[in-house]
Amino acid sequence: MDGAEQLLAALGAAVDGGRAPDPAVLQALAHVEDPALLRRAGRLLGRLHLPGGQLPPVRVAILATGTVGPFEHLLRARLVAAGLLPVIEVGDYGTFDLALPSAGFAAAGDPDIVACVLDESLFLPDDWSPDLEALRGHVEARLADLRGMVAASLARTSATLVLHTVPLPAEVRDAFISSRARAALAGLWCRLNAGLLELAQEHRQVVILDLVGVLADAPVAARDDRLHRYADLPYTDGALLRLATEVRRIAQARAGLSRKVLALDLDNTLWGGVLGEVGAAGVQLGGLYPGNAYLELQRAAGRLRQQGVLLVLTSKNDPEPVQRALTSHPEVLLGPDAFSVRAVNWAPKPGNLRQAADTLGLPVRSFVLMDDSSFERALVTSELPEVAVVAADGDPAHLVRSLLGPGWFDVLDLTDTDRRRPELYRARAAHTAFSRQFGSPEDYLEALDIQVEVRPVSEFTVPRVAQLAARTNQFNLTGVRFDEAATAAMAADPGHLVAAFTVSDRLADEGVVGALWVRRGPRSWQVLNVVQSCRVIGRGVELAVAGWLARQARAAGADAVEGRFVPSGRNGVAADFWPRAGFAGPVADGVYTLSLTGAADPSPKWITLRERSDSLT
Amino acid sequence: MSEQPAVRSTVLDIIGNALNEPLDDLRARPVLAAHDWDSLASLEALAQFEYRFGITLDLRAFHAVRTVDQMVDLVAGAVAAKSPPAGDGSLSGNVAR
Repeated sequence: MDGAEQLLAALGAAVDGGRAPDPAVLQALAHVEDPALLRRAGRLLGRLHLPGGQLPPVRVAILATGTVGPFEHLLRARLVAAGLLPVIEVGDYGTFDLALPSAGFAAAGDPDIVACVLDESLFLPDDWSPDLEALRGHVEARLADLRGMVAASLARTSATLVLHTVPLPAEVRDAFISSRARAALAGLWCRLNAGLLELAQEHRQVVILDLVGVLADAPVAARDDRLHRYADLPYTDGALLRLATEVRRIAQARAGLSRKVLALDLDNTLWGGVLGEVGAAGVQLGGLYPGNAYLELQRAAGRLRQQGVLLVLTSKNDPEPVQRALTSHPEVLLGPDAFSVRAVNWAPKPGNLRQAADTLGLPVRSFVLMDDSSFERALVTSELPEVAVVAADGDPAHLVRSLLGPGWFDVLDLTDTDRRRPELYRARAAHTAFSRQFGSPEDYLEALDIQVEVRPVSEFTVPRVAQLAARTNQFNLTGVRFDEAATAAMAADPGHLVAAFTVSDRLADEGVVGALWVRRGPRSWQVLNVVQSCRVIGRGVELAVAGWLARQARAAGADAVEGRFVPSGRNGVAADFWPRAGFAGPVADGVYTLSLTGAADPSPKWITLRERSDSLT
Repeated sequence: MSEQPAVRSTVLDIIGNALNEPLDDLRARPVLAAHDWDSLASLEALAQFEYRFGITLDLRAFHAVRTVDQMVDLVAGAVAAKSPPAGDGSLSGNVAR
């Protein structure tokens, strides 16, 4: 049985057993680039039904201006490989113009994502003439129609609409025999695609993928004329796979499965050669090829860091020569301070990664390891299958593409907190050092002088709060991930309260670290979810927030506050939150209740709460 | 055609996969129309044939096929057509002089 058949057999066994495929199988599936194999895998995985909680679900509707072809299967294979359990509904052929504005995507209710497959037929008349002005008028009118359809759709759905730029087919371009007219047509088409891209700036619920850019850089044909003529299938399997990969990146970011940490090997990854053999002056870094390839990888990793990705150095070396090389080599861009954790020793890498995860307070499943050694990669995959691995062997010219291509670190929007994350996690390391000076945890927490501020969300904090909902897996009480649109709608509704809380102490200002979504009934307030960044777990911040909530509810005339805990398999750290906050229960469905009559304030004495309830009425 | 048995086995596998039916059913009823050989299944099979054998099929000929045996012949013919002529590995005709 070859590798492809083994992979299909492993997926089939998981489907038949009603269990999620093993992480190693999912990683193998994620690396498959053969559309023929992924079609089969996606079809097979259409029968994957799991008891709740094994993989986070994602509901996807597909709408297309032509035939969808194998897109459903390719997308399903990509989504499962990313650790999601997709339920996909495909809109009927020929109904795009009706289904999009009416938001009639899915019989099973509002989906999480609507993936639209667009082709030129949406913008061109059936029988167009090579009259550029007439064509310009038609294309602009159809773009305006599409804008209207998107706006109408957004009024009816909370789904994320994913559209893409559209390639100009050669048969349209080459129909113009004047080179000047062809250039003008290309300009018209670029403006069409620019108009599509602007939709994402106009609507926060809209994501536009640059399919044109992706296909320009991929060794696949955009179209197979036979299948286009025969089945109105506008794209080849290879092109659809590229589109499915881009949609997967959005779904993964939306579901909070993005990676936060990049663990980098040193020898033959961040520079060429082995430091212990050639010395700092002998490593290949900067200058001409291949040194420039390693320098570009350092630049790429540095850019990820600027966007909040934490860097970890993991190298089998003696620490002193590495320290000297990182500080003295004139071409090194990632000096010692660029790394939140440095694990330079001779210990096995899985243990080093586990320890780095503990230090950072992040799970190993938020790690990506880039290493040139197939032995080290295999060892990490075997012991820590949740860690994504990127191969750094082979020609170093490909290093940057290997690192960035899969989109492991994608987020929908970057917040200030993202950009400050490396600094914040360095502060965490400072906390660890500070805490060692004290006899008891309480002494330490008292000395920290923790300040918590709770306030209803504003237009400035809604993106950060939605991002916390999407990305927080550990302290996430119900797993309900309210996105930006839902959060903004609830914030504007007097029947709901959405509040964000910030934390600062004498060592660091952590910024917005958590949020709560609450339905405000006249007698009882129901907490729909509370999320809190793992950076501040263990300081009692959530108890101070619970105390604040109880006071708000009491002041509004309520008698009780209800909260729920829904186990996800990953949120065990929050399982005892409600009892610790003084809530009684659980009764059915994990519901806990706090009677506001005579309830004690659970706020820890080491926290100073700064309340901002001015916009609450 | 010496490679026909290997082609036959793969073609049967691919059609079986596309139709999601056991190979015994295909052998018992080799007329494709007797199964759910709709445009979706046929294009799935087409994609797999072209990928597995590195060939490009003429869509008219593909749609003219009625039975499994005819499909084997069509694919085997395309495979044979892409192979270099036996006994002549010379590139002399292509060398610039």
